[in-house]
Amino acid sequence: MSPYNLLPRFKAQYDANNQEFSISGVVRPQAIDELGPSLTLLRDAIGRVRGVLYVNVRRLTQMNNAAFHVFSRIIIDACRARPELKFVVITSSVVGWTSRKFGRLSGIEPNITVEEYDSQFYPGQGFLEEGGFVPILRTQTKMTWRHERAILRRHGMRPGIVMADICCGIGDFAVLVQKEFQPSRIVALDHSISSLNYARRVMREFDIRGIEYTYGDASEMLLDEAQFDLVTCRHSLQIFNRPELILKELYRICKPGGRVYITNEKNSHCLGEPRAESIGWTYNEVAKLFGYFEMDVELGPKSRRYLIEAGFEDIRVETFMVTNLDGDPQDFADVIEAWANVYAGEMAARRGDGPEFVARFRQGFQDHIFAALHPKGYAGWPIWVASGRRPQ
Amino acid sequence: MGPVHHDLAGEPTFEPMIQIDMEVRTFVSAWRHCDYVSTYMARMISQNRSDSVRHSNLFSSAFNELLEVAFRTRHADGELACRVSRHGATDRIELTFPCLPEERQFYQEAVSQVAGFEARERYLNSVSGDLAPSREVVLLELAVDYNATLRVEEADGDAVKLVVDLPLEGLEH
Repeated sequence: MSPYNLLPRFKAQYDANNQEFSISGVVRPQAIDELGPSLTLLRDAIGRVRGVLYVNVRRLTQMNNAAFHVFSRIIIDACRARPELKFVVITSSVVGWTSRKFGRLSGIEPNITVEEYDSQFYPGQGFLEEGGFVPILRTQTKMTWRHERAILRRHGMRPGIVMADICCGIGDFAVLVQKEFQPSRIVALDHSISSLNYARRVMREFDIRGIEYTYGDASEMLLDEAQFDLVTCRHSLQIFNRPELILKELYRICKPGGRVYITNEKNSHCLGEPRAESIGWTYNEVAKLFGYFEMDVELGPKSRRYLIEAGFEDIRVETFMVTNLDGDPQDFADVIEAWANVYAGEMAARRGDGPEFVARFRQGFQDHIFAALHPKGYAGWPIWVASGRRPQ
Repeated sequence: MGPVHHDLAGEPTFEPMIQIDMEVRTFVSAWRHCDYVSTYMARMISQNRSDSVRHSNLFSSAFNELLEVAFRTRHADGELACRVSRHGATDRIELTFPCLPEERQFYQEAVSQVAGFEARERYLNSVSGDLAPSREVVLLELAVDYNATLRVEEADGDAVKLVVDLPLEGLEH
């Protein structure tokens, strides 16, 4: 028997607390008998629940028609036998066929509804990924790249490697890496279709090759395990409410002996002179504001702990400070202006902040800009870089 | 996307991408060959699609169903040939495998039914009514869920050739 046969190809489980039956992996049986225990589990679950049974197929990578029919029949029969029972099938937009295929069930039985899950996972991402933020993201990457192009070599970056950039956003980091280090292959994944469209347009216009942009959920990726020499994930763990889930996935897709590279901020440590006090107050408030939306923009110094707890070894941590002295101070000022517009704008409004608070909050950003553009001023934005090696 | 070529009959030219041939006897010796072949070929041909991972997942899903159909052939001698070619956003699978004359007749009828207006309705009826999907329903599902177009072509000897065009690149999220 080959090792292939020994791998569990799919898993079914029932969570009584959440009334949720979930099935994941690759379900391609030759005969229905192979599904016996899973079908029994589903029937038992149906027998026990009242109200709603959630059927979670978010991580169902493949299911052949033979299996789909038998699972569907059980659910449809239950709808007919127990009209008071509702089924909610949770699919993932990442796994292209699931929403289409399971979506048909609601056309057969009105008690079956099908929902795509992903958007709920990113409570705050919408603030940052849509609208006019793209130019600012590009400027941010330009500023951090001045530092990271030297730093990356100390964290496993070298020509010819196979790498993944998870939460790649508009893909500008992947492009810079491609030009500077010539990895043999880059897979760049993000959950924002608009960002990926932008990245693909850039790739076409500039005839860039060797980058595969892919739509995906960083916490549940379709990528195979142990295939990348280096996995990067920049400025992203800090905007997920459960960063440990992402790290688990980064670990999974990294080759044994390969490295995972993460960057994060500690926003309360943004600084400037003159007007240090006002600037400091505002960035402390930024951290609290993100905390309100379940995002931890203070994560930077916690990177070491997260990497250790995820099972990495040979952990390397360093910091760098993006300042108004790197290149054009106006770039720095433009980034702060964009932050002010989102943080003191939509986010503060969403939290219900009053005008007095918003005015003081916004003043700190203005003072940071003032410091950045002042002929004798200094303005800084600190970043924590950390990487860990997946054990052999 | 490359230039569009048309042959004399007006049919666009599909550029060959990959082909796998194997003895049917070998193929039907293990069910997992369907999964192996569909997964391998999906990965190979999806690398230069706009979203390679998503494309590979969709392609494997559709192609595996076709291979499972071929697996159930009742004619165990001869060759299975899987060929994938491309024209723009469409990938074409040509699956040739030995079959009995009555099976060939069955495929011709099944494919003509797929093109019918009530394809979606018949598919839904099958999901809600049949214990297991028939080979006809499997082909129907390709049309309903993947916008596939299917046809049967003549093949040498006791064989049938299923030609399936999959416009996966244009399939919405």
